[in-house]
Amino acid sequence: MFVTWGYRFRNSLMDKTDPRARWIFSLCFLFSIVQFWDIRFLLVFFALAAVWYAISRVTFHETRRAWTFVFFLMSMMIIVNTIITSGGAAGVVVGPGHPVFELNFQIPLVHREVSFVLTIERLWFALTQVVRILPISGIFLIIPFTMDPRLYGFTFKGLGFPDRFAFSMDLAFRYVPTLARDFSATLDAQKARGYEIERVEGGLITQVRRVAPLIIPVTMSSILGGEDMINAMDLRCFGLRARTWVYTTSYHWFDYLLIVFSVVMLVTSVVLSILGYGRFWVPPALIS
Amino acid sequence: MQAAGTVQKKKLWSFGTREVVYAAIGAALYGVLAWLTNVIQIPSAGNVSVRPAVAIPMFFGVAFGPIVGFISGFLGNIISDLLSGYGFWFWWDLGNGLMGLFPGLIYLTITRYRDRTAILRAEVMVFVGVIVGMGVAAISEMWVSGVDFGTTFLVNFLPAVITNLIWGLILVPVLMVAYDAVVSRSGR
Repeated sequence: MFVTWGYRFRNSLMDKTDPRARWIFSLCFLFSIVQFWDIRFLLVFFALAAVWYAISRVTFHETRRAWTFVFFLMSMMIIVNTIITSGGAAGVVVGPGHPVFELNFQIPLVHREVSFVLTIERLWFALTQVVRILPISGIFLIIPFTMDPRLYGFTFKGLGFPDRFAFSMDLAFRYVPTLARDFSATLDAQKARGYEIERVEGGLITQVRRVAPLIIPVTMSSILGGEDMINAMDLRCFGLRARTWVYTTSYHWFDYLLIVFSVVMLVTSVVLSILGYGRFWVPPALIS
Repeated sequence: MQAAGTVQKKKLWSFGTREVVYAAIGAALYGVLAWLTNVIQIPSAGNVSVRPAVAIPMFFGVAFGPIVGFISGFLGNIISDLLSGYGFWFWWDLGNGLMGLFPGLIYLTITRYRDRTAILRAEVMVFVGVIVGMGVAAISEMWVSGVDFGTTFLVNFLPAVITNLIWGLILVPVLMVAYDAVVSRSGR
């Protein structure tokens, strides 16, 4: 049996908006925000995303798991890749920077010198990353909770995808909760047989051997389950002619307004970026 | 309609019902499994994570064709990134799609998935797919993030290639052997 996304009708402004217009806005928002690394510009997008999120009427209780994961992932990314190693800041933060913390030590036995320098620029970049990631997460995280799954296929078709590809995308999004449930069930079954996920450690080969008991059964059972879907679709003559959809939508004036706003936002962002605005910026007061 | 007892000839670039469903399954599998391991970041790499699930699009390419492999990688990476809050990174999605497409090019040459020659061919194409896919994605950082070639090579290309090669070269043969058992039992 399929597990479904946590969608429910909230009678919000977002429910009245055509899903195609919402996807266009979300994608334009994404392509616009990635033009900038200046926190002053990013805060505008942050505010816009906050308004969009508020309109959705999605509660924190519904999305707390997703937000927990986003915060955990973001923390790992920023702590490991920006604060400790600066790999994630490559190409954006240029120059040696202004040190705020330095640590030099020698690794015993191998006598290797290690020098760690934390700069104001890297710390500010970490903050900038947070301000950049949170709006993107907010815009896309609410989609499964606010978009009727019965409209996925029609929406992707309406965005210009061919019938079969649109249906494949529809199926993929619908399969995600089911596969997550199957993965959890497989994990529990393997744990009952003595498998310990917490002990996925050791060398790479050992890690592969420990991960395989999870990936193999889930993959094979999904493929076997797909056979039933294929038979059902073949019996209904899938693909013989242009597909029609049971559930459809139509544009209203506010959908056109949203699409125009999205396109203007994107074009403005691209133009500003080409003109050199929105580069990484650190408040002069911090580095003077 | 096929006469009873005849076997439908496989076509390399077909996208019928079977391919539509398996592309969706591959994408969802890759999306979910990659999302679960996205927290394991490779230190000093440009937001590259350890991802055993990378074997999924490669295997789906080998088992169901290059289009299925491409969609599994492309769409699966989109789903994983959306779930993780990364947003939408077209070039990395394309790179993941290419990692699934190249192994799919040997789809027609495989009769038994546990044959040594079939596995060897798959390994070679996994290698090619990872190099090409991650190469495209890494080079794109030069105009997306503004990094130079040396930085993207060290920070994006090398970490992604090394980790994806290791997971792909080890897990794809395991999946092929397991799938061979499934095919033998189901008769498809």
